Amino acid sequence: MLLQPKPKNARSKRVMVNRDPKVVENSKTAIFVRGSTTSQVILNVLADLYSLRKPDAINFTKKNEIHPFDDETSIEFFARKNDSSLFAVGMHSKKRPHNLILGRTFNYQILDMVELGIERCTPMSEFKAEACAVGMKPLMVFNGEAFNQNENMIRLKSILLDFFRGETAEMVSLKGLEYVISVTTGPPGINGEPGQIFFRSYTTSLKKSGVRQPRVELEEMGPSLDMRIRRVRYPTDDMWKQSTRIPKELKVTKVKNITRDGLGDKYGRVHLGKQDINKIQTRKVKALKKHLDGGPNKRQKTDIEE
Amino acid sequence: MDVTGILDEHKSRFKSVQVDRLIPPEIDLGMLASFDINMINDAKLKANQNTRDTYLKELSREGAQLLINEIFSLPTTVDDDGIYASLPKATTVLPREKPVPKEKLLTRWEKFAKIKNIQKRKKSRMAFDEEQGEWRPRYGFKGINNDDQKPWLIEVPGNADPYADQYQARRQEKKERVEKNKRRQQRNAEEGVATEKGLKPQEMRKRELQKALVMSKGSTASLGKFDEKLKGEPKIKGLKRKFDPLVSTVDKEKSKNMDILNRVAKKESSATVLNVRKAQRAINNSKRKQK
Repeated sequence: MLLQPKPKNARSKRVMVNRDPKVVENSKTAIFVRGSTTSQVILNVLADLYSLRKPDAINFTKKNEIHPFDDETSIEFFARKNDSSLFAVGMHSKKRPHNLILGRTFNYQILDMVELGIERCTPMSEFKAEACAVGMKPLMVFNGEAFNQNENMIRLKSILLDFFRGETAEMVSLKGLEYVISVTTGPPGINGEPGQIFFRSYTTSLKKSGVRQPRVELEEMGPSLDMRIRRVRYPTDDMWKQSTRIPKELKVTKVKNITRDGLGDKYGRVHLGKQDINKIQTRKVKALKKHLDGGPNKRQKTDIEE
Repeated sequence: MDVTGILDEHKSRFKSVQVDRLIPPEIDLGMLASFDINMINDAKLKANQNTRDTYLKELSREGAQLLINEIFSLPTTVDDDGIYASLPKATTVLPREKPVPKEKLLTRWEKFAKIKNIQKRKKSRMAFDEEQGEWRPRYGFKGINNDDQKPWLIEVPGNADPYADQYQARRQEKKERVEKNKRRQQRNAEEGVATEKGLKPQEMRKRELQKALVMSKGSTASLGKFDEKLKGEPKIKGLKRKFDPLVSTVDKEKSKNMDILNRVAKKESSATVLNVRKAQRAINNSKRKQK
């Protein structure tokens, strides 16, 4: 009735448990795969992206007959084998020269992917600037209106953000803001198709500015890519909905009657319950004394009503 | 006293951290990302490599500066390693890696304990073995529940057969207890699967049994047609044979006959001939898996 493989020892059990869905997820692992034919350009791109993505990255050094847009099975197999959810596949053909596919999987199934044609690439090795330390979180800068308007670009933005954001952190060291990834959209074509995309990465140096915030200076570290979107695979609505669900444990429960304004001040609304008017303490006036309602009074024996 | 001169001098020593933007960029501090929708100078991007790169660098610097300004204004905590800014939650929605974990199903005991409000208590791993006079683990290697840790001498109970093996009986007893526990685990798991599918456990078991029955029929050449019927065996649904009418249009008949002829005459490889029964089974299997 139950066909679940049982771990045979403690180590494999630990691995299996670690692969189970979690409420708070680990950072995503990316795999870098070569297609059956590759160019030097695409190899450079893959190597550089791999070095940016380290340590949560696995580099495939052998060629693989792989075409994610035509056949998903092999990339899904790799995802399952390596417990990864991001992939970069590089290939080169006459029809699609210097082809880079970036994508992600959800539950070991392809969620979405974007195919990019690399039109110019300057690898990291050609820049003088020293590359940043491994595993740093980059600052991401997206320039261009297209990132908010064009469907393909929105997808690309989302995938790039996912690819390079690194670990989710609550705190960030102010010294650790070591590099910037900047993506800019070029002018669109005559027919309105999205233009080139300029991918640049820089190391930062923070200079004194006389105020609390430092002045940032950048130096290009590479890779520097000029590319163009080719094919795009969108997620199905159902899958997207499932993948963006927030677990019950992480949902912020709505607190009744407490509001905050824009300045962060807290306002509370308090319910006092029903008030008994007879018992309210008001100004003490002789005329309002209780015995006047007809209650017994020892001192005054005259009846008021008469 | 006029200090503007001093201030200006102070300012002029440093480069500014101010960045002018027509529309302030949207900043997601949790993601350390900024999204700028201001107009980009297309002419500079279309120009030669050098101008383009310097323009992109300037654009990126300004974007990064805006981000850094925001990050440095966040509340900070100081640690031995340096100063840390605490980031707010990210506003950009990014997909998860795996689905939200399912809630763990309660076992029969857990359900009962919940109703009776029985709390789980932690037992120490070690227990005192009074016979040996030392501490031993409750279970596992050299555990006190192990057979070899129990007294080697067993008194024969008064009403028992004096020739019966009491050691054997003791071993048997433990074996049965273990078996019973295993059966309960299995039952809990089965009930869990059933409730996940929204079925009653009994119904689920019945279905599984029927499925197994159908499967077993495939093991005879007649596919169970001439098998002895079981008591109360249900009629199998979904197995229908369809016959073409004896007389149909000439075209259909011709193509049908030609198909047979071609297949025989050409001796096509077995791979190209579709085994309908096999294909049907494959489809059914995949459907079953999906369920």
